[in-house]
Amino acid sequence: MSEYKKPLPVVQPWSKPFWEAAKRHRLMIQTCNDCGLKIFYPRKYCPDCWSANLGWFEASGRGKVFSYSITMAGVEERFAEDLPFVLALVDLEEGIRMMTNIVECKPDEVSIGMDVKVTFRDVTDEFSLPMFKLNPKK
Amino acid sequence: MSKAKLAIIGIGEVPTGRYPERSRWDIIYEVCLQAVRNAGIEKKDIKGVISVAPQAQPWLTSEISFGKIPEELGLKGCKDVCICNAGGASTTNCLRLAEQWIDSGIANIVLIPHVTVHSTIPIEEVISFFGTAGMDLQWEYPFGTTYNGMMGMVTQRYMYETGTTAEELASVVVALRKWAALDPNSMFYKRPLSLEDVLSSKMVSTPLHARECNVLADGGGAMIVTSAELASEITGTPVYKLGHGARYVGACPVLREDFLVRNGWSEAAKDALDQAGLIKEDVDVFEFYGAYPLNQCVMLEAVGICEIGRAGKFIMEGHTSPGGKLPCATIGDAIGRGHTGSGVSMANYIECARQLIGKAGERQVPNCRFVLATAAGGSGMNATVTIWGREIP
Repeated sequence: MSEYKKPLPVVQPWSKPFWEAAKRHRLMIQTCNDCGLKIFYPRKYCPDCWSANLGWFEASGRGKVFSYSITMAGVEERFAEDLPFVLALVDLEEGIRMMTNIVECKPDEVSIGMDVKVTFRDVTDEFSLPMFKLNPKK
Repeated sequence: MSKAKLAIIGIGEVPTGRYPERSRWDIIYEVCLQAVRNAGIEKKDIKGVISVAPQAQPWLTSEISFGKIPEELGLKGCKDVCICNAGGASTTNCLRLAEQWIDSGIANIVLIPHVTVHSTIPIEEVISFFGTAGMDLQWEYPFGTTYNGMMGMVTQRYMYETGTTAEELASVVVALRKWAALDPNSMFYKRPLSLEDVLSSKMVSTPLHARECNVLADGGGAMIVTSAELASEITGTPVYKLGHGARYVGACPVLREDFLVRNGWSEAAKDALDQAGLIKEDVDVFEFYGAYPLNQCVMLEAVGICEIGRAGKFIMEGHTSPGGKLPCATIGDAIGRGHTGSGVSMANYIECARQLIGKAGERQVPNCRFVLATAAGGSGMNATVTIWGREIP
């Protein structure tokens, strides 16, 4: 796993809990204990009320595809082995939008509005990236 | 009643293309000398230099930031120097700052130059630069972002919401390349494209085909600006800046509530037109710069020319093309010009001046009195709209 060549998240002190939890395959959302705002991406102070009294809760991991693009060319060499891959924006049930990849399916199976759920990729000892896979309603 | 505080009195430009053999300073000399001669002033008349920050060229940025242009060109009358970086909206902000320098008396005549040479930057560096510029290093870049991928997602959502078809989107490129084919300063001069050319080009980032993405180019441009009063003494053809509107919509695409930036464009255009004392029906040319085809559609909708979802059809019917009833993007936006990083907005303002002076050659829109121009920075962080006129209404 030490051979991972792709860019890793550039972490800020206040987003460490997100990445610590991701290592344990838990998707956490930051929240403001004063005004109740659900915050993404994590901040030092609440972007609504500037409170420093912030906490975390675990997301359901379920969401829907807001938009996506199948990347087929024009990437850095270190991403080339993944082509084609699905770059996507996913709206979580909790009202948070994340950029991610849709994995574990053929790229042309993806469409806007599809149900997806989180799946973690352990890319290094330090980082597991939250990606999403299709979650068809039974 | 608008009160113009700034006017363009001189322009200089090199055609876009690939110039690996030319140094960046060679191009700076050329465009600045052209602009000074075009304005009919002498170099000692330049009292300030406000440069467009070049992207992905850190050494050049340093040299320009720390004052090399007035020294290199021997601008002995220069009282101050500065650089503005807002990505694709850099030139817009150079104009803003020039307005303040002129208004406050620090410099009554200001030179605004830009140069970019992409062709000598290693391709990996260029891809990496555009994969990170305007993207978040923690929440976006690790997932393989590219400009094309990001704009692919925006385009996909636009098509989903509006029902715009692949053919309509491709027809935007056809329209832009028709303008470019008439532009001797474009690398695509005399090279129009058919709908089939666009749709049969390889898929890069769905739904964007290669011809719907930008070709990076080398290029440079410069403007001489001054006060409205002085402009009318120096030249018989001043180009007045009449209005300016701006909206910040957010740095990271993932967080942008106004995902298509339609509200941002709409509000910025309203502010700019109000300031100019004009309405959209007064505008003869819409110089939309959005770098990707969907932005031409979004801007037509935002300004209120097309109903939401009808812009693609409107463009496909030829209304924005040469000879159409509503000329848009008469240099063909970045798609038609070749993308010169922060230089596209410079080219766009130079085209505003050409259209208003009546020197736009085969692209000339008859009796052009007022032009609306747009520019955005980063991956779409802001929407800026300016209004230009050959007279003050």
